[in-house]
Amino acid sequence: MRLGAQLRFLALGLMLALAAGFATPSSAQQINPTASAVKEQQFLDALKGNKDAELQGRITIPDGKAATLERPAGREWRAFHQGTMFRIAAIAVLGTLLLLTAFYLIRGRIRIEAGPSGRTITRFNGFERFTHWLTASCFIILALSGLNVTFGKAVLLPLIGPAAFTDISIIAKWSHNYLAWPFMVGIALTFLIWIKDNIPSGADLQWFAQGGGLIGKGHPAARRFNAGQKVIFWSVVIGGAALSLSGFYLLFPAYAGGVLNLQFWNSVHGIVSVLMVAIILAHIYIGSLGMEGAFDAMGSGEVDLNWAREHHSLWVEEEMRKGGVHKDPALQPAE
Amino acid sequence: MARVKFLCDADRCIECNACVTACKNENEVPWGINRRRVVTINDGKPGERSVSMACMHCTDAPCAAVCPVDCFYTTADAVVLHSKDLCIGCGYCFYACPFGAPQYPKVGNFGSRGKMDKCTYCAGGPEADLSPAEFQKYGSNRLAEGKLPLCAEMCSTKSLLAGDGEIIAQIYKERVVKRGYGSGAWGWQTAYKETIAI
Amino acid sequence: MLIKRKSADVQRGKLQAAMAGLSSGVMDRRTFLRRSGLVAGGVAAAGALQIGSVRKAEAAGLGPATGTKIVKNICTHCSVGCTVKAEVANGVWVGQEPAWESPINRGSHCAKGASVRELVHGDRRIKYPMKLVDGQWQRISWDVAINEIGDKMLEIRNKSGADSVYLLGSAKFSNEGAYLFRKFAAFWGTNNVDHQARICHSTTVAGVANTWGYGAMTNSYNDIRNAKTVLFMGSNAAEAHPVAMQHILEGKEVQRANVIVFDPRLTRTAAHATDYVRFRSGTDIAVIWGMMWHIFKNGWEDKNFIAARVHGMDDVRKEVEKYDPKTVEDITGVPEAQMKRVAETFAKVKPATFIWCMGVTQHSVGTANVRAICNLLLATGNVGGMGNGANIFRGHCNVQGATDFGLDISNLPCYYGLVEGAWRHWARVWDVPYDYFVSRFDEVPAKGGRPARTRKANMETSGHTSTRWFDAANMPAEQVDQRDNLKAMFVMGHGGNTIPRMPDAVKGLEKLELLVVADPHPTNFVSLGGRKNGTYLLPIGTQFECSGSRTCSNRSVQWGDKVVEPIFEAANDYWVMYKFAQKLGFAEAMFKNYEMVQGKFGMEPSAESILREINKGGWSTGYTGQSPERLKLHMQHQDKFDMVSLRGAKGSPVENDFYGLPWPCWGTPEFKHPGTHILYNTSLEARNGGGTFRPRFGLTRERTLPDGSKVNDTLLAENGSYSLNSEIKDGYPEFTMGVLKKLGWDKDLTPAELATITAIGGNAIDGVSWTTDLSGGIQRVALEHGCVPYGNGKARANAWNLPDPVPVHREPIYSPRVDLVAKWPARPDERTLRIPNLHTSVQKAAVEKGIAKSFPIVLTSGRLVEYEGGGEETRSNKWLAELQQDMFVEINPADAAARGIKDGAFVWVSGPENNAKARVKALVTERVGAGVAFMPFHFGGFYQGQDQRGNYPKGTDPIVLGESVNVITTYGYDPVTAMHEGKVTLCQIAAA
Repeated sequence: MRLGAQLRFLALGLMLALAAGFATPSSAQQINPTASAVKEQQFLDALKGNKDAELQGRITIPDGKAATLERPAGREWRAFHQGTMFRIAAIAVLGTLLLLTAFYLIRGRIRIEAGPSGRTITRFNGFERFTHWLTASCFIILALSGLNVTFGKAVLLPLIGPAAFTDISIIAKWSHNYLAWPFMVGIALTFLIWIKDNIPSGADLQWFAQGGGLIGKGHPAARRFNAGQKVIFWSVVIGGAALSLSGFYLLFPAYAGGVLNLQFWNSVHGIVSVLMVAIILAHIYIGSLGMEGAFDAMGSGEVDLNWAREHHSLWVEEEMRKGGVHKDPALQPAE
Repeated sequence: MARVKFLCDADRCIECNACVTACKNENEVPWGINRRRVVTINDGKPGERSVSMACMHCTDAPCAAVCPVDCFYTTADAVVLHSKDLCIGCGYCFYACPFGAPQYPKVGNFGSRGKMDKCTYCAGGPEADLSPAEFQKYGSNRLAEGKLPLCAEMCSTKSLLAGDGEIIAQIYKERVVKRGYGSGAWGWQTAYKETIAI
Repeated sequence: MLIKRKSADVQRGKLQAAMAGLSSGVMDRRTFLRRSGLVAGGVAAAGALQIGSVRKAEAAGLGPATGTKIVKNICTHCSVGCTVKAEVANGVWVGQEPAWESPINRGSHCAKGASVRELVHGDRRIKYPMKLVDGQWQRISWDVAINEIGDKMLEIRNKSGADSVYLLGSAKFSNEGAYLFRKFAAFWGTNNVDHQARICHSTTVAGVANTWGYGAMTNSYNDIRNAKTVLFMGSNAAEAHPVAMQHILEGKEVQRANVIVFDPRLTRTAAHATDYVRFRSGTDIAVIWGMMWHIFKNGWEDKNFIAARVHGMDDVRKEVEKYDPKTVEDITGVPEAQMKRVAETFAKVKPATFIWCMGVTQHSVGTANVRAICNLLLATGNVGGMGNGANIFRGHCNVQGATDFGLDISNLPCYYGLVEGAWRHWARVWDVPYDYFVSRFDEVPAKGGRPARTRKANMETSGHTSTRWFDAANMPAEQVDQRDNLKAMFVMGHGGNTIPRMPDAVKGLEKLELLVVADPHPTNFVSLGGRKNGTYLLPIGTQFECSGSRTCSNRSVQWGDKVVEPIFEAANDYWVMYKFAQKLGFAEAMFKNYEMVQGKFGMEPSAESILREINKGGWSTGYTGQSPERLKLHMQHQDKFDMVSLRGAKGSPVENDFYGLPWPCWGTPEFKHPGTHILYNTSLEARNGGGTFRPRFGLTRERTLPDGSKVNDTLLAENGSYSLNSEIKDGYPEFTMGVLKKLGWDKDLTPAELATITAIGGNAIDGVSWTTDLSGGIQRVALEHGCVPYGNGKARANAWNLPDPVPVHREPIYSPRVDLVAKWPARPDERTLRIPNLHTSVQKAAVEKGIAKSFPIVLTSGRLVEYEGGGEETRSNKWLAELQQDMFVEINPADAAARGIKDGAFVWVSGPENNAKARVKALVTERVGAGVAFMPFHFGGFYQGQDQRGNYPKGTDPIVLGESVNVITTYGYDPVTAMHEGKVTLCQIAAA
C-alpha cells in the first residue's frame, strides 16, 4: 500500500467530480431524470484513477459514516494489512532475531576487555531508570498484544482454540488501550531527560566509521551516549510519537475524520510498531545478553568503570572531573 | 448450490426506507445500529438515485480476512456471519468493509465499541437455529424458516432483491432489457467481482 | 474460513447434534432459495402468488413457532391499503410477515408499514385516562373521565348550544367508526363535525364531484400499470404513497410509459420521471391552461369524447386562449418548448392518467385547481377507461371511507347532503323520528346583520371547518354564524399541528373551556399553548386493536381484524362512542340496530353490525353490496385477484368480483355486483362494473347564443355514449320510481321491493329514487336493464355553481410576484362556511406592506416517508423516529450561500404573520430551486424555538420533537371547502 496516498484523496473530490459530470443547468429545457441517472459505472471508472475514491450520498440518520455507499479502498488496506504488513512484520521480527542469533554466534558476548575493575560509576539515577522501565515494560506488553493482532490468529488461535483466543485477545486489547497512556508518558519523559545527551555530534560519525566497536576490536570514543544509543533514542522518541499519534486516532476514531484516515493511521501504527519491535529487540540483546556489564546501567544504575571507559570514554572523563566515580566498591552500598 | 446475494435496482429504489424499518422490526435492532440504510447519490439533481445498502455478503469477504480473531464464517448459502462471542470489537472489519456494514453499539472511544453487529441476511448466527439466544444476539433466522430477508421481501417497489445470485441477476437483466435502462448492480463489482452483463 | 457452526461447535462441543440438525435444513433451504428468488423479483404476479403459497408450506416444515396465529389487518398510514400480516402469539404481536397475496401491496411496505408492529408495543402511548389539573396531569378512571367530560359538554350545550362543541373525527377511524362518529354528531345536533379530509382532499372532492359526479379516485393504483403516460402534479408518491410506486414504476417499465412530474421540488418521485417540470408554487391553473393552450391550438383534444360526454368545453376554450406560452412562462416559469412537449405527450400518448395530491389541493384556489385538471382529462378523453383517469392519491388509511361516511360539515353518510330528504333517509335507516334530529339542533339568533336560523335551517347549514376552528373560538361572537363561539373541542384521532396559523391556534386553545383528546398518542393539541385545566386525554387503541373495514384510495373496501386487544387501558372507538352516547342520553336510540358484544371494558357494538346498517342506507354511493361476509371472503381469498384488473379469478369463491368491492357496489349483497374498479367506464356493463358520468345538476342548461337567442343544451350524454349493453342507447336521468314507471320497468320490481318503496314514498311514490329506496329494487331493475342507477350524463367543463365556474389563475394570497397580483387577483372578500374569508384584504395588505421583499422565499410543505400527518404517532415509533431526528428546511445552495447558511446548521425561518419564527436545521439541496424553501409538516413539540417536551404527560412525549411548519404558514382559504393554503406562502431564512 502507498502509505502517503491515503490522506490525499477523500470523498469530496470525487463527489465534486461526479456531481459536476451529472449536473444539468437549472435552466435546461429538457430534464429527463431517467436518462441522466447516475450510474455505478461512473464510480467504477473514477476508481481506476483513484483507488481511494469513495461514493458518498445523502442520508438522514445522524451517523455520517453511513453516508458512504461504497469504499473499495478497504481492499487496499486489507491487502496491506494481511499481506505487506504481515510480511514486513514477519521479516522485521524474525529477521532481527535471526540476525541477533547470528551475531551472537559469530561475535559472542562482548566482554569488558579490561575485565571488571571493581569500581563503579553511576550511569543512570533512579528516575532515569524508572522512566526506562516504565517505557520498556509498557512497550513489551503493547508489542505482544499488538503482534497478537497480526499473528495471533495464525500462531495462537490454532493452539488454544477460538474461545480462549478471544479471551486473551480481549485482555490484550484492553491492556493495549490502557497501557498506551503510561507508555506515552514514558516516551515524553525519555525525550525530556535524555535529549541533552542525544544531540548528534561529530564523534558519532567517528563511532559509525569504526563500526561502533561491535565489529572488530577497539572502542570508538563516545560521550554519555554513543551513536548507536542515539539511534535507539531517536527511534524510540520518533517512533513512540508516531505510535502515540496514530494510536490516539485509533482510540478516538471520531477525531480521525473518516475510515480512510483510520486505515492510514492503522497502517502507520502497524509499520512503525514492527520496526520498533525490531530495533528494541536489538536494544534488548545488546543491553543484556550481548554485552557484559551493560545491564547494570539500567539494573542498579552503577556500571563498572572499565566498561564505562571502553564504551563511553569521553563521558567517564567528564564524570571523573566532576568526581562522580566511586573509589571503593566495598564502601558503596548497593542500591 | 445457491449463492445468495443482494441486489438493489436503483431505478426502482425510492428511498422509502421500508428495508430499514423491516430490518429493525424483524431483528429488533436497537437505536443507533443501522444494519441497512439507504443512500441517495446526487441528491436533488436530475438523475439522483437511491441505493439500499447493507452487508453484501461478499465473496472472499474482507471483514473476515482482516478479523484478528477470525470470528467470521460463511454459510453454505454464502452468507457471511460472525460470532459475537468471539468478536473483540476491534473495528478492523469496519476499516476493511467497502460498504460500511459493520455497526457497533457504542461510539468507539477507547476501543469501547462493543460487539460488532451487522446484517445477517436474516440468517441468525452460530447459535442453534431459531433459539432465543440466537435471536437475542443476531436477530431472526428467516433462512432457517425457509424465508428470505425481510428487507427485500417488504421492499415497496421490489427494488431490493434477495435470493440466489443467479436468479436475481436474471431478474435484473430482464428488467433492464424490458425498460431499456439500468444504473447498474450497485456494489456487485466490489462485493462479488462480477457485473451483470446486459 | 469457518463454515457455519464450527465455531459454536468448538465452544459448546455439540458437533454431532448440530450437524445432524443442520444437514436436512440446508438441503431444504437451498432448493427453496432457488424458487424464492422469484418472489422477491416479482417477475409475474401469478408466479409470485403461487410461490408465496409454496413458500408457506416450506416454512411450516422448518418453522419454529407453533401456536402463533396470523391476523390480517390494513396498514394505518397512507391510503394505498397495504395488507399487514401479523403473527400473534399469546396475545402479543410478535412478527410481521409480507402479505404476498394482497393484490395491492404484494408483500411490500414502506418504512411506516414495515414498522407498524411497534405501534402496539409503544411505551410512549397514552396508558390511562388523564386530566389536567392546574397544569399537572392526573390519572383518572374511564368512568370519571366520561362523567366529567359529559357533564361539561352538557353544560356548554345549555349555555352556548350544540354547535359550540366541535367534533373532530379521524381518517384513521374504520368505516364503522367514522360512520358512528357522524351519527353521533347528528344525535348531538351539530354539523360541526370534520376530519382530515378537510386538509387533504376536500377541494378534490368538491372539484371532482362537481365535474362528473363522485368525489373519488376514478381508477386504482393497480390500473396505473395500464397507463402509457403518467402525470404527477403536486404528488410525491415516492414518499407519500411508496407502495403505489411499485405499480407505477413497473408500469413505466412494462409500458415504456412517460412519467411526467410537475413539482416545485425535484422529489424522489421526480427522480424517476422521464420529464421533470419545475414550476412556481401556486400557479397550477396557469400550468394546466398552458398545456391546454397547446392542445386546443393543435387540435389534439378528443373531439368525439367532448361531444358525447362533456358539457361546456367551449367556455374553457375561451378562458384558455388567455394563457399563451409567454404569459404562462411568466406566471409559472415553465418554458414553452417543455410545456408543448408535455401537452402533446399527455394528449397523444394514451391512455394518460393524472395523479395529484396536496400540492394541488392545499391552495386558496384548490377547488379551481382540481377543476382545471378535470378539464384537461376531459379535453383529452382520458377519463373512464383503463390506464387513464383522475388518480387522486389520498393520504390516510381511511380518509376515503371517513369522507364517504360524512365526517364532514356538509354531508350525511354517503354524500346525502344536509337537505331534508337526506335527513329523512337516514332517520329511516336509523329508525329514529326525523323530528328528533330537528330538536337536537340549535336555533341561531339574528346577528351581524344576518337573519336568524330555525333549528331545521341550522340542521341544513354546513358546519364550521376544522381548518379554522380557532377562528370560531377567537372571533367576536357576532362574526361567527352559529349560536355562540366554539367552547369545546372533542378530538378523536386528529393532530393539532396540521393547519396553518398556529399562533392563532394557540390563542384559540386558551379560549376553549373543554379540550378532549382521544388518541393513541397525545397530539400537538396537548403540547401547544398554556392550558392548565379542562383538558382530558383518553387512551384509544390503534386500528390494529380494532376490527372493521377500511376504504382505500381506489375505493376498495378491506376488512381488518383486531390483531391484539387494545394495550394498557386503551379502548376502541366503538366502545368510547357508546359510553359517551350513554352519558349524553342518546345511546339507546343510536345503538338500537346493532349487535352488542362483549368488548374489553364492556358491551360495545360489533363492527359487522354497524357495516350492515351502512349497507342498509348507503345507496347513493353504492356502499350497499359490501357486506361483512363478502369483505371477509375477499380478505381470505386475496390471492385470487388479478394484479392489474383486480378481478377475482374464474372458479374461485370471489369470481368476477373486483378486489374489495370498490364502490359503487350497487344493490344488495345478494345482488352480487362486483364493485366498480374504474368509474365512468362505459366499456363494461353497468351490472359488471361499468358506468357513465353522473347527471347531478339538472337535465338541460340554458345558453345564450351570440345573437342573443337562447338554447337549451342537454346535460345528458349524447352521440351513442352509454355503458355496454345498456337498453337505453342514449343519455338518461337518474332512476326514480317515476322513471321506472315511464319505462314500464316497474313491473320488474318484486312485491317486497314494491312494498318498501310504497312505504317510503307514501303519496309521492314516484319521487322514491335509487338513493332512497331501501329495498334496492330500483337499482336492481335499472342495472338488469343495463343502466346505471344514477343516470347517464355529461361531465361539466363549466361548473356554474362554483365560485370560478371555469377556473382562472389567481395569485396566491402571499405571492412573490406582486407585479402579477393586479392582473390575477384573489377572489373578493366573502363569507364562507360560517365566517368571513378575506382573500383580497389579506392579499392586498401583503402587497402594500412589501411582504414579498422582506420575505423573499416561497415556502412550500409536504410529507416525509417516515412520518405521517401531525406525526405524533410516527415520531413516537422508535424505528421510524431514528430515521428523521430533526425538523429541517430545504434551501437551495444559492440562497444558503447568500445567507451564510451551512448544511446541517440551525436557521430561523420566519413568516409574514404573527411574527412567527421557527428554529430548524438547514438542509442545503438542489431539490428546491433558488428562492424556494420546503419544510415537512410532521413535526411538533417545539414552538418558536421553545422545547415543549414538558407539556406532554410523563412518558408519552414523542421521541422526536421539532418545530411545526404551520407556525410559519399563513392565511388563505378555498372559497368552497375552506381548504388552507398550506402549499404556498412566503418566508425569510437566516442563520441561527
